Amino acid sequence: MGNALSNTNKVTSQDRAILNLKLQRDKLHQYQRRISTVLAAETAAAKSLLSKGDKPRALLALRRRKFQENLLAQTDAQLATLEQLVSGIEFALVEKDVYFGLKQGSEVLKQINREMSLESVERLMEESQEGIRYQREVSEMLGNVMSNEMEDEVEEEMERLEREIRGEVAVGDLPEVPTEIRETEEEKARKAKERARARAKAREEERQREEEGLVAA
Amino acid sequence: MADFQYPALYSFPPFFTRQPNATTWSTQQSAWSALILAYCERHRLFKFSVGHELFTNTELSRRLPTPAAIEVMEAMVKQGKAEWIGPEKQEILVYWKTPRDWANAVYDWIDTTGQKGGVLTLYEIAWGQLTASTEFHGLDETVLRRALDVLVERGVAKIFGSGDELGVKFF
Repeated sequence: MGNALSNTNKVTSQDRAILNLKLQRDKLHQYQRRISTVLAAETAAAKSLLSKGDKPRALLALRRRKFQENLLAQTDAQLATLEQLVSGIEFALVEKDVYFGLKQGSEVLKQINREMSLESVERLMEESQEGIRYQREVSEMLGNVMSNEMEDEVEEEMERLEREIRGEVAVGDLPEVPTEIRETEEEKARKAKERARARAKAREEERQREEEGLVAA
Repeated sequence: MADFQYPALYSFPPFFTRQPNATTWSTQQSAWSALILAYCERHRLFKFSVGHELFTNTELSRRLPTPAAIEVMEAMVKQGKAEWIGPEKQEILVYWKTPRDWANAVYDWIDTTGQKGGVLTLYEIAWGQLTASTEFHGLDETVLRRALDVLVERGVAKIFGSGDELGVKFF
């Protein structure tokens, strides 16, 4: 109970009020018990008086009994009122607890919503985009550790190997050296440029794709 | 009285005489103590006085002398099975269940009926309609106080109010 949570091990004024009501109720209970005994006694008295032939006194005893019965009914009504009051107070306490719980819950909800305002969500999304961009730049930088020249060398070697496999470089079948070299140098420059362009293009495309992916997400 | 099964020893005349031998007397005391506890539990008696008819066996025309009876009761008090009522040492509260046992019974009831945080009067606990089916219904007021004191010590109850008009709040 929220009530118990907020005043653990404490006796509140409500508790005292409930106790007083309950004590009253206990007194009525005891009173009823007493009247019940009196009722039984009066009935017994009336019976014994009747058997002795003393009608007037038997009648008196019965009247007294009636009176006590009336009292008993009255105390019953009073008891009901008291019990209702006690239950009412106890229920009101429970309601107070429920209200307390609801209030706490709504406050927590409000606080959470405050922490999640639209602007801050927007800012957060921007920040995370920036973070992703930065991350991509870093990985590009790391990917470019190999310079264009080094890439060229790798690809040249690849071409040579391919030619060897095709058997183009057979012994005694070497092409004229000078022209070959000149041609190759021109070729090389051209090819290097082409490859650099192709790589740049590939990177650009990849970046575009990533951006599109991000926007979609 | 009712259908109480007296032990065989109860029909044995020397049982009603204080035995001079210390060891025998000690055994005799335990037997008396067990008899008193069983008798009180059977009849749901919480108070037991020196002059109780249990000390007298009319069939044998024997009676345990009062000083011996007081000794028996004193031994019970020492073992925590009873408590003297008043300094005159004529009557004891009989603990066929200890205040701790009663405390557990009351607190279990409070717990299972969801009355934690509620306020109850002592009368309500012992005589209320709600406790009619519990074992502590009709519990002696002093014994109930002792049991509640155990709970107060445990920090799960608080007694408040004034004079005879006491209530207890459970946590």
